[in-house]
Amino acid sequence: MTRRQTWTGIAALAAATLIFIVPFVFIFLMAAKTKQDASRFSFAWPADWQLWQNFVEVIQTRNYMLLLAYFNSTVITVGAVTGLVILAALVGYVLQRRPGRMSNVVYGFILAGLMIPPAVVPTIWVLQGLGLFKTLHGMILIQIAYNLAFSVLLYRSFIGTIPRDLDEAAIIDGAKPLQIFWKVVLPLLKPVTVTNIVVQSLAVFNDFTNPLYYLPGKENVTVQLTLYNFQGQFLSQFNLLFMNILLVTIPPLIVFIFFNRQIVAGMTAGAVKG
Amino acid sequence: MNRLIHSTALAGAMALVAGLAQAEVTLSVLIDNNPETVAMMEALTAAYTAANPDVTFEIEQRTGGAEGDNIVKTRLATGEMADVFNYNSGSLFQALNPQQTLADMSSLGGQGNVLDSFKQVVTSPDGAVRGVPFGPAMGGGIFYNIPIYQELGLTPPKTWAEFMANNEKIKAAGKVAVIQTYTDTWTSQLFILADYFNVQAEVPNFAADYTANKAKYASTPAAMRGFERLEEVFKAGVLNEDFGAATFDDGMRMVSTGEGAHYPMLTFGIGNVKQNYPDNLNDMGFFAQPGNDAAKNGLTVWMPAAIYVPEASANKEEALKFVDFVATVESCQTMISAAGASGPYLIKGCELPADVPQAVKDMLPYFQTEGMTAPALEFLSPIKGPALEQLTVEVGSGIRPAADAAALYDQDVEKQAKQLGLPNW
Repeated sequence: MTRRQTWTGIAALAAATLIFIVPFVFIFLMAAKTKQDASRFSFAWPADWQLWQNFVEVIQTRNYMLLLAYFNSTVITVGAVTGLVILAALVGYVLQRRPGRMSNVVYGFILAGLMIPPAVVPTIWVLQGLGLFKTLHGMILIQIAYNLAFSVLLYRSFIGTIPRDLDEAAIIDGAKPLQIFWKVVLPLLKPVTVTNIVVQSLAVFNDFTNPLYYLPGKENVTVQLTLYNFQGQFLSQFNLLFMNILLVTIPPLIVFIFFNRQIVAGMTAGAVKG
Repeated sequence: MNRLIHSTALAGAMALVAGLAQAEVTLSVLIDNNPETVAMMEALTAAYTAANPDVTFEIEQRTGGAEGDNIVKTRLATGEMADVFNYNSGSLFQALNPQQTLADMSSLGGQGNVLDSFKQVVTSPDGAVRGVPFGPAMGGGIFYNIPIYQELGLTPPKTWAEFMANNEKIKAAGKVAVIQTYTDTWTSQLFILADYFNVQAEVPNFAADYTANKAKYASTPAAMRGFERLEEVFKAGVLNEDFGAATFDDGMRMVSTGEGAHYPMLTFGIGNVKQNYPDNLNDMGFFAQPGNDAAKNGLTVWMPAAIYVPEASANKEEALKFVDFVATVESCQTMISAAGASGPYLIKGCELPADVPQAVKDMLPYFQTEGMTAPALEFLSPIKGPALEQLTVEVGSGIRPAADAAALYDQDVEKQAKQLGLPNW
């Protein structure tokens, strides 16, 4: 390694530390402070370490609301991402393999899904009519509907990189259309599926506004909504707020650490061909 | 005859069943997430359940601010509102379309305990009262640091000239005279909003004329003065250096610990100091925003939020009984012991404890004299433009002249008035 490379390496590391580590350290320090200390919002060592007390207080707030929120968020995330992956892979496959007028119309709808923002009140009417309002499965369906377009685009472009020859070979071997998909194509979609899982579970888990409107009710909290417990217009308990942020950040962080390599691989894999 | 007996028996049986069904009622409650609101509602519901064991409550929290407005409106529009909820009184209450969405509370016995000044701000256009007060009233004015005043031998000003003279002395002593905190943009509006007592003292019809599009900020000198005050304070160079980056929490810290002398704010800020700087709570005093005439000095008051029952509630009867219970002196005392007294409660005969913070003590005399308080403009007129806080930040930072900002604000307000469908706009 030349001297110059060493220096650029150090500079890059320093920049990365500044951008990624410092905010995290700030959250951690704030989470360890007392209310008074935290209200100053300074990047300083806590005068009095309250990490454990804050942790216990956040967990116990409003009758263990955070634990219920973890459960709800997990159910919604797992349900929505499973649905998204299966549906988006199927749609993306058909769209890519069978170009034609029908596909163009469907593709138009998918682009519309990306571009047109959904309206809240009519959506609630539909949910009420179906008896799905204020239920976790209703919320799962909403997350699938809102995020499907993006997933389909990812799948469609990735399937473009899989040679048609594979499908044809399977047909010659006597496979039916569904068999081709499940046995031949789907296993090849692993990189882009991982990308989908990571990107969409982060999006669903971190979603704040949709649960706020579509999932009212005391029993229906999600983790992002618990942040409101500690922040008001006139009075905020920043130490507890940051402790809550710390706890809420942990699950996505674990996902990221485990799937880090696949995320990058999947991103580039999907981006080869448009 | 036989049939009559049968039907009476049937009616009796039905009443019994109905009684049993009513025995277990769970009322859902939606409140904002302010810790004081939560503490008050938890204490009230616990007291009500203790007296009526068959009624239990489920409390749900929502955020405040613009997002909170959206939640309340969405849930009312879709019929998913909780049985009881709290929300602002005044213009925000009118924006809920109360005649159609909220239950009439005019006939509740508890209304007899409520001060008339509050009833005004929760009365829908058809004359029905649709809410009862929940929490203390707030004053808008200026917090000051008592040790700095004592050290420099100053007295709380009654006129703007005295206020500016005090500022000069504080500046000469090397201290920060006026604190401004523009990170939280809403804090920048106080000099204008809290000046409303002075506006209405000079132009008594301003609110009505303003709503009817006959008076404008830019063309009414008394109303314009709020913008000018803000500009004047900036030009005098008495602000804290970091006014553009400071937060509301910083402002409360500075005025209570003596890092600054004055902070224009709502008395709601007392709760913040009580949590973060309890030792300095009594170092902080309060006075109304001074005007031109010492004889006409008074306080601009923010009415407390109210609790409402949606017309569409399935448990309307039970919910109204609970609301009736809230409008009593005992409930008022329950709220005081749960959340403390940061201002007077608008229930007749509800006395504040003797150990209230100094700033509250300073505020009470205004309420005890007739004609020393006036509700803020937002309780008298449904019009409040969304861009006011951006404009006041510009004026307060010396980016835009006061007259210019007042004219722009008049334009901003026009959009909202048209949206509300007010006549003559």
